Amino acid sequence: MSKEEKGGLNGVVKTFRNLPGFWRASLNPWLIRVRNHPERLAFVLHRVTGAIILFYLLLHILVTDVPAYHHSWSSWQSLMASFNNPANHIGEFIVAGCVFYHGLNGIRLLLTEFFGVCIGKPERPKPPYIPPTAKSCQRKLLYAVFILAAIFWVLSGLIIFGVWG
Amino acid sequence: MGNASRLAIWQYITAIILIAVLTGHLIERFPPVTHQSYEQSLSPSTFYSRLKGAWGIGLLLLAYVALFHGLNGIRGMLYEWLPGRRREKVWDALFWILFIIFASIATYTVIALPAPTLPK
Repeated sequence: MSKEEKGGLNGVVKTFRNLPGFWRASLNPWLIRVRNHPERLAFVLHRVTGAIILFYLLLHILVTDVPAYHHSWSSWQSLMASFNNPANHIGEFIVAGCVFYHGLNGIRLLLTEFFGVCIGKPERPKPPYIPPTAKSCQRKLLYAVFILAAIFWVLSGLIIFGVWG
Repeated sequence: MGNASRLAIWQYITAIILIAVLTGHLIERFPPVTHQSYEQSLSPSTFYSRLKGAWGIGLLLLAYVALFHGLNGIRGMLYEWLPGRRREKVWDALFWILFIIFASIATYTVIALPAPTLPK
């Protein structure tokens, strides 16, 4: 029995109503069923990559501030030298993948949710009912996002690991 | 601020700005464009000229908008995760505290960055 159900039986106001769904949907992508639901995978990946990018952004702002904070470049140069190792390059590679996926999927979300592109028109739900969103080009757009993000991720890996450039 | 739909609209608006400014920022490290290796593009002189030039304002805008977009996204998730009027006030307060702290650090970086000493 879940915490939520226990709360309900005891007559306590149900709190954390969204908690199981939140963890399941947002923070543990391995638990959700994505077969025939690529949009679900896209949604979860968008949140996970967003959280990773935010963590990197906060660190990036702090690291960029080092020469201004110390009024010298020597501390920043030694910090940059310490970052020049395979573990850090792998971290950069992960962040680059997150940025490309989050950015491209963000453009898709802007097009479909904000500008209403590629979502089809409403229609009467006659059986066998297939929602217009599933028939329109938004799913092709989604697959394009997955493919383009993978291509950009590989290219960024070539740059980060010094193979290209 | 306050309701989830308003937060979502701000996400879209900041995303549109981010597409333009972040693309510019990523191109700065792209070797075929900069004609420098990935590591060389982070030398003190390059870093200083980027932040102190006209593009410094663009980078500052990028920092503000990216911070707003990222922290607002987490705030939206917290609204879903732990809903309630009182909690929402806590998430709002946390959002603004973190935003002001990190935006101030970014601003200070652009203003107070010392010129790198050239090797003799």
